[in-house]
Amino acid sequence: MAEKKMIIDGVSCPFTTERNVLEVARNNGIDIPSLCYCENLSIYGGCRLCLVENDRGKMDAACSMQPRDGMVVNTHTKQVLDSRRTTLQLLMSSHRADCLTCDQSGRCKLQEYARRYHVDAHRFEPNTYCTEPMDLSSPSIVRDPSKCILCGLCVRTCAEIQNIGAVDFSGRGKKAHISADFGKTLKDTDCVGCGQCASVCPTGAITIRNETEKFWSMLQDKNRRVVVQYAPSVRAGMAERFGMPANEPCTGKLVAALRRLGADVVYDTNLTADLTIMEESAEFLEKVKTGAKLPMFTSCCPGWIQHVEHRHPHLMPQVSTCGSPMAMFGSLIRKQFAGENVYSVAIMPCTGKKFEAARPELEKDGERLIDLVITTSELCDMIEEAGIDFAHLPDEEPDAPLGDYTGAGVIFGVTGGVTEAVIRRVLDDASPNTLQTIAECGVRGLEGIKAFTVTAGDLTIRIAVANGLANADKLIAKVESGEEQFDFIEVMACPNGCIGGGGQPPACNKRKAERAEAIFKADEACALRIPQQNPDLGYVYDTLLQGRAHELLHIHYPAHGQHS
Amino acid sequence: MEQIDYKFIDQVLADHACDASQIIAIMQDVQGKYRYLPKDALRYIADKVGISESKIYGVATFYENFSLDVKGKYVLKVCRGTACHVRKSGNVLQAIYDATGLSESKPTSDDGLFTIEIVSCLGACGLSPVVMVNDTVHPAMTPDKAVDLIEELREKEGA
Repeated sequence: MAEKKMIIDGVSCPFTTERNVLEVARNNGIDIPSLCYCENLSIYGGCRLCLVENDRGKMDAACSMQPRDGMVVNTHTKQVLDSRRTTLQLLMSSHRADCLTCDQSGRCKLQEYARRYHVDAHRFEPNTYCTEPMDLSSPSIVRDPSKCILCGLCVRTCAEIQNIGAVDFSGRGKKAHISADFGKTLKDTDCVGCGQCASVCPTGAITIRNETEKFWSMLQDKNRRVVVQYAPSVRAGMAERFGMPANEPCTGKLVAALRRLGADVVYDTNLTADLTIMEESAEFLEKVKTGAKLPMFTSCCPGWIQHVEHRHPHLMPQVSTCGSPMAMFGSLIRKQFAGENVYSVAIMPCTGKKFEAARPELEKDGERLIDLVITTSELCDMIEEAGIDFAHLPDEEPDAPLGDYTGAGVIFGVTGGVTEAVIRRVLDDASPNTLQTIAECGVRGLEGIKAFTVTAGDLTIRIAVANGLANADKLIAKVESGEEQFDFIEVMACPNGCIGGGGQPPACNKRKAERAEAIFKADEACALRIPQQNPDLGYVYDTLLQGRAHELLHIHYPAHGQHS
Repeated sequence: MEQIDYKFIDQVLADHACDASQIIAIMQDVQGKYRYLPKDALRYIADKVGISESKIYGVATFYENFSLDVKGKYVLKVCRGTACHVRKSGNVLQAIYDATGLSESKPTSDDGLFTIEIVSCLGACGLSPVVMVNDTVHPAMTPDKAVDLIEELREKEGA
């Protein structure tokens, strides 16, 4: 078939399967602005910023225009630029622009476009923004309706990616606003705090709950030992904020930055990711042996756990009782520094972890496991605030003991990673050939749902991996209807797993693929690749846990008991 | 709180094949019975047809015709369209407000008898100014006739 081409701004632009003119333009190096479009969501066509002009002088939205061979459009005629400016002025009139003190300042797309298109005056009455109160009910995110421009990205993300639909448009005309049903606050909805809405929000209408002030004051507190752990995917989400390539992990600099901020002890959550695998694979093999109900679901993701509680409580007994790696490290830190005044901080790619850390279940021996969760984005802000030249930091290692980890822990950061680590554990063979075979068994890749089979000795394990709760729901529907059978299912609430977490700097699909690459590079750079080789495990089990491994590492959520 | 007749709602859902694309028709039927959309009924419908509660709330608040508030036994629609306006429907509306003690911000009386609504055009401009009481059209209204109408309805109810 002949190559299809369209003419954009006089330049011949080849295209294949792009779903609209907007994508064709962007793939050919022409950045048409848009506020309501996202490559992973349905097309809304509401913001009218992506208007382009065709060869007859008519304007239409590029997001809603199918590319045709020979089509001619122009993206920056006088008419188009004037229209964009007017649209921006209209949007600005219904947006509370307190840019200097806004959490989103510098990252706000409305602000960026206002600058790019030289919107030099508030042409329309600037006080018609929504006066609904701010929603501060969620521990993960903050919603400020006065900054909402009704692009609907949060609505579509929540409904299409997560199948939750916590918020939607309500009202009409100038009374239109985003809300939950009957004006409920987020904590009373089925919101799981995944933060995906915050990462697509073009303005400061939905932001991550900022807790950096708390972290700063603890870092200054001389009477406390601040112990910080950082999750696998954090090393793959920061580099781009500091002008470094996204496909390289920045573990060493991350450790160095945390020490310069004032952390007393720095640990890599990878250690407890290894530990999770030891516990979770033992739990799985036990379930297989005793004929317990399968599939067994993973339990690392707090969004997934909440989703099970809201929508599938009857499945809870099939969810592993392993605490998340964050919670497990919380337990170890309390034992390692028993009797000391320790403040336990977790750097996470995840807004849902803020909720998880505050759950009543995350308490052992009368102590909170985690005192504070700081997201990757918040940490980047703090590094900027401290004036640290991140890109030129020396590489440093986490503290010892509890500083060792294997590649199996690192890959937790990407969808399929937990599963791949479990397979490495179960096959119990660290030879490069076996590792290669595992990598190619179908577990890798950023697809929403993956299904494959792995054979270990005389055991055949049917595995599925889902990312995004809508995909998880699809999978569960198939399992419950009997259409498909699995023994082990991994679920991560965020698209592509933790690398695409709501607490990471927002990223397009291409960028997320680069982050996945960074995770696998970090895995390959590890001398040890299978979790049972972690040299710290002996110390952890014998010295710290002293026979109380199940009690200290596993978490029984209420629904575990109610439905078993 | 209104006691919801779930058998009735199940029947409405069955009449529309429990189809999310017929959500407006379903909501109209439910409002037909209760004269408004009870919260619990909306949540029940959302669950049955498989849409989120925030979505059905969005539909209910988008259309002026749907009401989430309990309405009076008699809904008085006072037309404020152009034709009625020039024939002084404003005075008719004021007379009704005065006679009932209601206002734009408090449209329903505490005894549950009256709800006063302002509508833009009832499509009966030749009969202006027009007031509709439930499904009955009252043409060529004056403030006096409006007060009489309210009295008449009150007497009928023995209030």
